[in-house]
Amino acid sequence: MLRMNTNNIYNHSMSSTFHIKHTDKETLKKWFSLMALGRTLDDKAPNYLKQALGWSYHAPYAGHDGIQLAIGQIFNRETDHLFPYYRDMLTTLSAGLTAEEIILNGISKDTDVAGGGRHMSNHFAKPEWNIHNVSSATGNHTLHAVGIAKAIKYYGSKGVAISSQGESSVSEGYVYEAINGASREKLPVIFVFQDNGYGISVPKHEQTANRKVANNFSGFKNLKIIHCNGKDVFDSMRAMHEAKKHVLEQGEPVIVQANCIRIESHSNSDRHELYRNDYELNYVRDYDPLAKFRRMLLRYERFTEEELKSIEEEVKEEVKVAHRKALAAPAPSPDSIYDFLYAPAYEANKYGIGIHQSTEGKPIKLIEAINETLKAEFRHNENTFIWGQDVASKDKGGIFNVTKGMQQEFGEKRVHNAPIAEDYIVGTANGMSRFRKDIRIVIEGAEFADYFWPAMEQYVEMSHEYWRTKGQFSPNIVIRLASGGYIGGGLYHSQTTEAALASFPGIRVVYPSFADDAAGLLRTAMRSQGPTLFLEPKALYNAPQASTIVPDDFEVPYGKLRVRREGTDMTIVTYGNTTHMAIQAAEALAKEHGANIEVLDLRSIQPLDEEGILQSVNKTGRVLVVHEDKVFQGVGGEISAIISEKAFEYLDAPVKRVGSENTPVGFNPILEKAILPNTEKIKKAAADLLGY
Amino acid sequence: MKTALVYSTHSEHTSGIAKLIKEHLKSKATEVNVEDTSFDELQKYDLLILGVSTWFDGELPNYWDEYLPGIDDQDFTGKKIAIFGLGNQIKYPENYQDGMGILAEFFKKRGGEIIGYTDAKTYKFESSAAFENGQFCGLAIDNSFPKAKTTSLVSDWTKLIS
Repeated sequence: MLRMNTNNIYNHSMSSTFHIKHTDKETLKKWFSLMALGRTLDDKAPNYLKQALGWSYHAPYAGHDGIQLAIGQIFNRETDHLFPYYRDMLTTLSAGLTAEEIILNGISKDTDVAGGGRHMSNHFAKPEWNIHNVSSATGNHTLHAVGIAKAIKYYGSKGVAISSQGESSVSEGYVYEAINGASREKLPVIFVFQDNGYGISVPKHEQTANRKVANNFSGFKNLKIIHCNGKDVFDSMRAMHEAKKHVLEQGEPVIVQANCIRIESHSNSDRHELYRNDYELNYVRDYDPLAKFRRMLLRYERFTEEELKSIEEEVKEEVKVAHRKALAAPAPSPDSIYDFLYAPAYEANKYGIGIHQSTEGKPIKLIEAINETLKAEFRHNENTFIWGQDVASKDKGGIFNVTKGMQQEFGEKRVHNAPIAEDYIVGTANGMSRFRKDIRIVIEGAEFADYFWPAMEQYVEMSHEYWRTKGQFSPNIVIRLASGGYIGGGLYHSQTTEAALASFPGIRVVYPSFADDAAGLLRTAMRSQGPTLFLEPKALYNAPQASTIVPDDFEVPYGKLRVRREGTDMTIVTYGNTTHMAIQAAEALAKEHGANIEVLDLRSIQPLDEEGILQSVNKTGRVLVVHEDKVFQGVGGEISAIISEKAFEYLDAPVKRVGSENTPVGFNPILEKAILPNTEKIKKAAADLLGY
Repeated sequence: MKTALVYSTHSEHTSGIAKLIKEHLKSKATEVNVEDTSFDELQKYDLLILGVSTWFDGELPNYWDEYLPGIDDQDFTGKKIAIFGLGNQIKYPENYQDGMGILAEFFKKRGGEIIGYTDAKTYKFESSAAFENGQFCGLAIDNSFPKAKTTSLVSDWTKLIS
């Protein structure tokens, strides 16, 4: 049995600025107005759904009033960054959103400042004011808050990042990654856990053993934990004020655990009477924070009943006006769906479609091309950063030494290791890139592409940030992944991930197979806005056949293939490791059978050079699609479908595919050889197709 | 000794215990409803018997929460404070009787003398703001107790504080 320290308002009240007797009347009036406004909108929101006007998702905040008011009140839009969650209606109102902006988001209008009705209702945001538009995946933005805090610290800004979330979101592994990172790097973040006891219908004792989840973090270094009554305005103001002061003065993160209640159901698709009894429902209603604050304003004679009623009337009128304006606002147009899907690419037109004829200098390896381009771009833009597992350990620069020498030249603030937490690596890059539009972040998403999967939720998130905010924010990030097999690496050092990762609109995917294209595509990616997945065929890093001369300023535009061997009898469409095998197979067939095969190196998978492919098909009439990834569900399926749809009449034979077997990649070399495509298999398939 | 029994008349269980205490007290006690009493009221008495339960994860009930800011600048030196608390060891072992602890700390800080400490040996809980050196800073009533046990605890405690 333990003596527990109480950390509540009565330990602070005499010295606290926030007190029912001492807080000035204007401030109290502002608070009451915001709280009354919030509750009027919170209560009114379900009516929009009943009238089929929208707002089909509404998570009522009633019971969280104190802490939400306080978060918004301490937020300074000039210096701070706020990441509210889907229950943060009062938080965002208190941070400055208007009733009209709340309703425009609720009913998904084109003028919704969060993103023109593209994201779900109740996801209130105003990126222009650093009130960020966040995911529906609970707690996902915790990593973004930590990421932007990296920038706040790096640039010496005086602000704080605030991640607001429900207590159940803390069950997510990435929340632990985020708090671990903030603690390790001593970052200016306030994590606010709004604890209402439930994750939808799941009571908190089914989430974690501690009743107050913040206490799970009591062993973390450089981290202060503050408890408060999130239902109480004064205690919440005290806690948030103390948290911000601590972050700014001590330069370390704080968790604020705010105990709240959920007076209503989780959302309008939930019925809490199915899992909460009458006793509990009455109990929470009895502690309605707004009713409590109102009672106190009267009991302490700060306001008269008439004064409060008059404020309530003003609020009702404000909501009526906002309602009328929001209803009259334009709806998004169906023609706009492709707007803001991809953030603007760098116009890489110095070398036309990205082909050079340079004969000057000596060929360099693919790994050198990447290393040198990274360095060149780091010199070109001082707001460029790189982090990842293993990328900067003294003389080691990544498992393959791709980033060798970078930390020595650019310093550890711009080039550093990351914990083995792939989601953290990606999510913090997303967060940091929000700070300035000229920031570019390169990440090694994982030690090997095979370990990228834990980062999928951040990858998905990144894919639709630009679209979801209607062009207000794009994560300007290059994700580098050492990819593919042929090194005897087995199941977890051989995966090539493009088929899965290219299926999310919003992310560009490139996969070079020669040193010059690697350099040119990397330069373009690092100068573009939006995320690019940069897949590196690691078996070619030091391979002589991938070495080329690389002009210093070489650049390759997205979506432009390169004809690596011209021909008339058949087209092989390929990329990555198999480009070289396809060329070898074509050369062999030319020698043995006099066949003239054209080899297209796609270089970009998203966007795909459809025109370039179709042009070649029109010429040859026969197509073999070759890639290292599995044939089943591989990129080749998409390419052959496009050809069938758009060039059927030019075909003299069915489109054939060569790729990996539909199995994992086995470790024993016998198994690896049987599973992965190789020159022989390509040659055989090509010969069959030529004879069709 | 002028005695007040201070609690919320709107509360069910706390009111029940308050009535029981009143029956067992030798001297007369004035009942004061904390929900609507004035902020000067408590200064009129020498012995304050306070009734409090613990809400949520270790908080005061709203009626105490709303009253304390009104008296937090007062001096309770020379006054005796006896607190009875209501809690639930099984459901809330982490915050058992925290309400009692919060009140005790509040009055102690303002000069009040806490009386009526009781042995915590027979209780099972993980942590409590009311727990000090093996004792509770008042009478800990538990919802799980049989009526006879409650009556006997109340009887012993009233003797202790009278």
